Amino acid sequence: MSASNERNGFVVFDGVSKRYGSLLALNDVSFAIQEGEIFGYIGPNGAGKTTTIKIMVGLLKSTQGKLHIGDHQMPEEKGEVHKMLGYLPQNVAFQEWRTVNHALTTFGKLSGLNKNEVEDHIKKVLELVALPDVRNKKIVELSGGMTQKLGLAQALLHDPRLLVLDEPLSGLDPESRYEVKQVIKKLGKSGTTVFFSSHILSDVQDVAIKIGILNFGRIMQIGTLDELKSAFPIRHVVNVRLSHDSGRCRELESLRGVTDVEQPANNSLLVHLDSEADVDETIHELIKSLLNIGCRIRSITPVFPTLDEVYLQYIRRGEHS
Amino acid sequence: MAVLLHLWSPYTGEEMPFTLLSTLLVSSIGGTLAAVMLAVSIVHEKSQHVYDLFLVRPLKRWYIVTSKFFAVYTCIAIASILTLIMGIVIDYFVMGGAPAVILNEAIQSLAVSLSMMAVSSSAGVLIGVVAPSVLVGVIVMIYGGNQISVLPLLPSMLNISNPVPFTLVLGAVTSCVLLLIAVFIFSKKQF
Repeated sequence: MSASNERNGFVVFDGVSKRYGSLLALNDVSFAIQEGEIFGYIGPNGAGKTTTIKIMVGLLKSTQGKLHIGDHQMPEEKGEVHKMLGYLPQNVAFQEWRTVNHALTTFGKLSGLNKNEVEDHIKKVLELVALPDVRNKKIVELSGGMTQKLGLAQALLHDPRLLVLDEPLSGLDPESRYEVKQVIKKLGKSGTTVFFSSHILSDVQDVAIKIGILNFGRIMQIGTLDELKSAFPIRHVVNVRLSHDSGRCRELESLRGVTDVEQPANNSLLVHLDSEADVDETIHELIKSLLNIGCRIRSITPVFPTLDEVYLQYIRRGEHS
Repeated sequence: MAVLLHLWSPYTGEEMPFTLLSTLLVSSIGGTLAAVMLAVSIVHEKSQHVYDLFLVRPLKRWYIVTSKFFAVYTCIAIASILTLIMGIVIDYFVMGGAPAVILNEAIQSLAVSLSMMAVSSSAGVLIGVVAPSVLVGVIVMIYGGNQISVLPLLPSMLNISNPVPFTLVLGAVTSCVLLLIAVFIFSKKQF
């Protein structure tokens, strides 16, 4: 599904381009994000992800095109957009001489919270990002992962409607990554629109409802994971798990529509089907043959391409074009 | 500093009371140091993208620039006033009284001191906003910003009668112009 057909949304990029001198960093980028959606933005280094994000939050001006967030046009009405925006930059940096409490109090007040609200919100966000014991520590004393979590805390402080996260999971250990992903999912469920970029495709796959692939400053494809996979030739591979292996599985290669049979482990088969074959008919014959040769089937599932494979396919397609 | 200068007992000439000398030194050295620190701090925070978190909040960009100026200027103005009070006390005992003369000189000293520091600090802000690196910021501040900070001394050097209002106006106008340029450039900057 191409985003160029979607003109209604909470965040709408409409033909946005950004040029740095002779370098075209973003080229006619158009897509829309619906309110409450978690949007994963992926692409190789230098693809233009951070440029897109900086235009979105008003730190950069686009050379061409329009951007709407909510009912407001950027950058003309960025004051209004900033009231409902939470932003975590790629390399978050604070005035390190401040304590965590001091920094969050300042950001809270600048975001429009009053003194009592700031106190409550700081407590809430530090618990949410699992940093409850650092409130009186100086920022310079925090580890890289803790600073990253503090960055997320400041972005969440004023309950933003739109959360923009540039590589939010970089520098985090597996446990912290899991915690942050849970926070993002929870925010999505509560109606917050989340836009986040990442290099870690499995994390995007875990969290995002919709995914955009960017390369050379152009949107290659946008859609849900299933939509991205469906726009991509399906691999005709079937994974068969056996509860009893008769040792005659090689005989399956003679089946019509089967090109190869791999046995990566005991009681496990990968059956490659001919791309021209009728998949349903071949799987039906496969099941019958397995039973005939004395195997007992525990499960049989078609293998779908992973996001990594889909991503690489689009990136390579972009490089060729 | 005022006490140390008194102990050192420099010859200040008949027309320069100790109050004026000490405040001039504080405003010159303190002002330059504060302005260099200010420029370095802004360049550093700019390069580390510290301002990104401020710029995505609903506040005007001029607020960030002027906050930096007033935070530093308030500190060094208080330091200057403290030095001046100490200078007045020392002058009072050394000159054996004559509070009216001392007070007159003190007011002139304070005007010069506050004006010079305002110009230094605003030059520090401007250089911090413009300079591409800490090294460039420090060099330009020391050799350029420091020169411009002596502007408020002109009325005293030209022997204008009652130079205090001219000193204050010159200091305020120069500072405002430098700050306005800094605010304009910062507002147009892309981060």
